[in-house]
Amino acid sequence: MMRASIVMLLLLAFPDAGHACAVCFDSSDENRLAFMATTAFLTLLPLGMVTGAGLWLRKRVRQVKLEENDPDLLDN
Amino acid sequence: MSESVAIPLQHRPEPVRPKPLLSNGVLGMMIFIFTEVMIFAGFISAHAVVRSQAAGQMWPPFGQPRLPVQETALNTAALLVSGLVLVVAWFAFRKERSRARIPLLLSILLGAFFVYFQGLEWVALLGEGLTIQSSSYGGFFYLIVGAHAIHAVAALLALIWAGVRLNEGRLTRSELATVSAFWYFVVLVWPVLYIKVYL
Repeated sequence: MMRASIVMLLLLAFPDAGHACAVCFDSSDENRLAFMATTAFLTLLPLGMVTGAGLWLRKRVRQVKLEENDPDLLDN
Repeated sequence: MSESVAIPLQHRPEPVRPKPLLSNGVLGMMIFIFTEVMIFAGFISAHAVVRSQAAGQMWPPFGQPRLPVQETALNTAALLVSGLVLVVAWFAFRKERSRARIPLLLSILLGAFFVYFQGLEWVALLGEGLTIQSSSYGGFFYLIVGAHAIHAVAALLALIWAGVRLNEGRLTRSELATVSAFWYFVVLVWPVLYIKVYL
């Protein structure tokens, strides 16, 4: 039962193109491109923001540690 | 039997609290800005999809008034300069608080110019027949630009509040950073909206 569930989940992870789906099929190339571009944009934007925030926080942690070790580096 | 030595409360060392990475105000503003960025990203995406579906790829649709591209470019420049002047105000504040008064006031005036000019533009467009119900073109224009205008007015009020506190000598660095972050968001998101909606 467990094995069958895993196989089913894997199969579901590779969906076929949906013939009634406006993203998969459309008479207009511009429309399909717009759907794909906005999907990529809306997927990557939050990931980019979270990554950016993480990198900034890491830099800030280093800066605070440096300031704690050498108080002269503290900016007023 | 061992005797435990009780340390009087007043002699106990204070726990060392680590220095916060950023103030609560800035953290809250960053979370708010993240959500607002996603809202505008959603608007822009919906606009791009609807625009791609326009009949005959004609955008703006036939019979709809054209947006004032050049006049708004000037307004965009005023907003960008406002953001730059606020950066100057920030550095001036770090050196000597009173020095931030003039650049902060200038930033507020440029921001007010932007909001006022946008209001004039809306009145003119409404007069030409572009309403939120006239077409998807009008609908998206008022939705996207209107959402930005609400943010611009709110951020402008926050800047004015900061200016009043600066005059009273009560403005803290954290407060200025929080308000500035809000204004930078308003300034930086606008060129993207201008390119997507006006051009």
